[in-house]
Amino acid sequence: MQKADLTSRDIAELGRVTELMEREWSPCRYHCPVHADVRGYIEAAAQGRFGEAIDIIRENLPFAAVCGRVCHHPCETNCRRKDVDDPVAIRHVKRFVAELQGAEGCTVHKPPAQDKARVAIVGAGPAGLSAALHLAKLGYRPTVLEKFPIAGGIPATAIPRYRLPLEVVQIDVDWIRAHGVELITGVEVGKDRSIQDLLGEGYEAVLVAAGLAASRTLPLPGSDHPRVHLALDFLTALNFGDRPDAGDDVLVIGGGNVACDAARSCVRLKPAARVRMMCLENEEEMPAWEWERREAEEEGVGIIFRRGPVKVILEGDRIVGLTTRGVTRVFDSEGRFDPQYDDTDLSDLQCDTVVIAIGQMANMGFARGSGLKAGPGGRLEYDPATHQGSLPNVFFCGEIVTPPGSVVEACAHGQRAAKAIHMYLSGKTIQIDDSLPPYIDTIQPETAEKVLKVCRQAIPTDPPQRRRKLFTEFERGYDEPAVLAEARRCMNCGSGAEVLTDKCAACLTCLRVCPFDIPVVTDVARIQSTLCQACGMCIAECPANAIIARGRDVGELVQHTAAALAKMNGREPKVIAYVCGHHAGAADWGGRVEGVEGVAEIYLPSTARLSSAELLHAFENGADAVIVVACPDAADRYPQTADRTRRRVNQARRLLQEAGLDGQALQLLEVADQGRQAIRAALAEAAGKTSAS
Amino acid sequence: MIVAERKPFDEIVEMVAPYKKVLVLGCGSCVTVCLTGGERQAEILASQLRLAGRKKGLDLSVDFDCITRQCDREFTENLKFDPAEYDAVLSLACGVGVGFMSGVLPDTPVLPALNTTFYGAGVAEGVWEEYCHGCGDCVLAWTGGICPIARCSKSLINGACGGTNDGKCEVSQDMDCGWHLIYKRLQELGRLDELRKMRPPRDWSKNRSGGVRRLSREEMAEIAQESAE
Repeated sequence: MQKADLTSRDIAELGRVTELMEREWSPCRYHCPVHADVRGYIEAAAQGRFGEAIDIIRENLPFAAVCGRVCHHPCETNCRRKDVDDPVAIRHVKRFVAELQGAEGCTVHKPPAQDKARVAIVGAGPAGLSAALHLAKLGYRPTVLEKFPIAGGIPATAIPRYRLPLEVVQIDVDWIRAHGVELITGVEVGKDRSIQDLLGEGYEAVLVAAGLAASRTLPLPGSDHPRVHLALDFLTALNFGDRPDAGDDVLVIGGGNVACDAARSCVRLKPAARVRMMCLENEEEMPAWEWERREAEEEGVGIIFRRGPVKVILEGDRIVGLTTRGVTRVFDSEGRFDPQYDDTDLSDLQCDTVVIAIGQMANMGFARGSGLKAGPGGRLEYDPATHQGSLPNVFFCGEIVTPPGSVVEACAHGQRAAKAIHMYLSGKTIQIDDSLPPYIDTIQPETAEKVLKVCRQAIPTDPPQRRRKLFTEFERGYDEPAVLAEARRCMNCGSGAEVLTDKCAACLTCLRVCPFDIPVVTDVARIQSTLCQACGMCIAECPANAIIARGRDVGELVQHTAAALAKMNGREPKVIAYVCGHHAGAADWGGRVEGVEGVAEIYLPSTARLSSAELLHAFENGADAVIVVACPDAADRYPQTADRTRRRVNQARRLLQEAGLDGQALQLLEVADQGRQAIRAALAEAAGKTSAS
Repeated sequence: MIVAERKPFDEIVEMVAPYKKVLVLGCGSCVTVCLTGGERQAEILASQLRLAGRKKGLDLSVDFDCITRQCDREFTENLKFDPAEYDAVLSLACGVGVGFMSGVLPDTPVLPALNTTFYGAGVAEGVWEEYCHGCGDCVLAWTGGICPIARCSKSLINGACGGTNDGKCEVSQDMDCGWHLIYKRLQELGRLDELRKMRPPRDWSKNRSGGVRRLSREEMAEIAQESAE
């Protein structure tokens, strides 16, 4: 893509430089179905600003806590760090901040007036509640009707508790309700009230987000046996505290995520039982996420590939097995599901319990008495562009109209439907702009090899022998040090350097100081965002002040320093410490780590971006001493930072001395890689010297 | 390009001492490239002056600005601050910029923060060296691209003097003899015969000795005149 030149005039018109980030997204954000500002919240988390992190997440993702547990995380799959070492464990960072903050620890954006139309929403799953939240934020009065006694949809009723505890779902539900979303549980639309009833009760629109609430079944001979379970009913029963009847030899038919959940639940019901899954697909075609399958196998679940069920074999009133046949193909040449079987290849698999987990379907009960028209194939008429059905004021969203997906996809679809309803109720034509800005491409190998390798933080998980017996969560999640370390692995894609072409003198300094050899100087310097590692080295060194960081407003650090100094008013001496927080936290941003009395610590992702001018400004703004806590050679996340930092500190000392100040009031401590205790001790000592002098 | 270096800070402080409100003005061309007079240096100098002013208890307020070139009037339109509101402008341009801005801002004293040192080139990162004196009558064609005016301490035109010593200049043992360099270079090029050619006397009037030099490009100058009429 040809990028338009950026000038200082453009920046002046922008207001905030960070708006540049909207022009080209990082791939994590682009591929997130709700386009959460992943880089933004990971950076906030890296600095220990957890409240801010969860607010950034929740701006786009209502089901933050649920997704922290079960998201299929396309952000991680597309993380550019994957080409350096391993992707950032974004889901686990999200899990930590979402559960740490709970529902009360998140900002609620309830508009001052919620006096717009009433909207009824059928189904309190991710799609329905996301739509309700969006409408509530726009000033509507949404009411969500849920047939189950609890809200949350599939995450609450069918995702096993060992993967997703109910209290985690409750965090999201409570936060959404705090926005003025009314929730009525235990009401089944189509049975207790019809859609027409709702429209007659003063709701100006109805949104059906009923999901896929029923398991698909198979017309197998013998499948009416009580030990032949449908997966969704089976999982729901478990989640409501029942113990469905399962024997010692379970066969789960299906190869998807629900099949994995059912099989793993069977293991927990009877740890001594043999549990196997059987699917039409081969290993590569199996639809379950790779990690679901791996975890199932770790827990002892066997998988039989390329077999299709024929009939349940009964002996008296007992199930003794399942007759199966070979599968010759699952998909046709165009990739459509169209299994073909070899009826000469028959064999029996022993089992005493069968769980059918071959997919879900909609329960169309809600349509009873609605007047909605069915389209071709028995499905209700639905326009994907406007979310409308055959009645203009009845809308649809979520899995009832989309292919089965994940929680975050349902959230995205719910939000889109809410936009459609808003346009409809505002008397506008429903036209939703689904266009997205481009995203930053894969990191080039020659750049990737220069990036400091940092191992992904291990995720503490119960050993399979232990978790096989327990319905409690098996994946422990990160503690705070692990979250900070993991979040700091983020490469800040898309927040890097931009050249203001009107100021650039083509002096070549950026090209000379870039540790990644990214800038190219033709008429002026050009820094390709897809290559830039956002270290800020060129920004700190540019003699024309012609380079800015997309992710940082100009003068941000100076203002932040001035604010920190203002807070210290009345205290002498005032000491500012600029701390490279890549290895250990700074006691800035909410005081999550213990600081040193009389020292205001300011977090930097690296000292690469700290300029000598900024050091002088700290003194101008009232600092009596400034301490730079940097990494020694090779420990910094960006190459050559230690050397550049030393030179800048020396230069600033000379400049201070020229101005008649004590050059020793500026100190450099190269201990940032030695842990929080060492930083604290070194800061205390340095600050002590300052007050003594 | 023009290379300049910053004046000693004390000298600058002395210059601005009579003034209370000073605008430090960077120049976005040559002096930005040689890291002495761009916007960043203006920012730093302004900061230093404020710190020094505070330390000495002076009533001094300092802002900074920068334009693309201080040697063309039009760029002053891009100034963010109005120099008329200042007691003095402290220019980080070369002498050309300082002098020109003095004409552009008739009511405001324009002070030089730099010493303009030479016409040079970047020979290594952060290092610049003199290559030309702007003598007005270039001889590089027959001196192997090495300027005798700039590189010979005496600006001799007819070969080395008696002070040449094993390739070094008598002025300093650290300095190459310009004519020695020229000879070696022409030897490498197989062009020593250039030194045997008779040359007419140099026209030194094109150098400074002819007074203020001026360039007028007829095609542009005429158009400008016509449009002015």
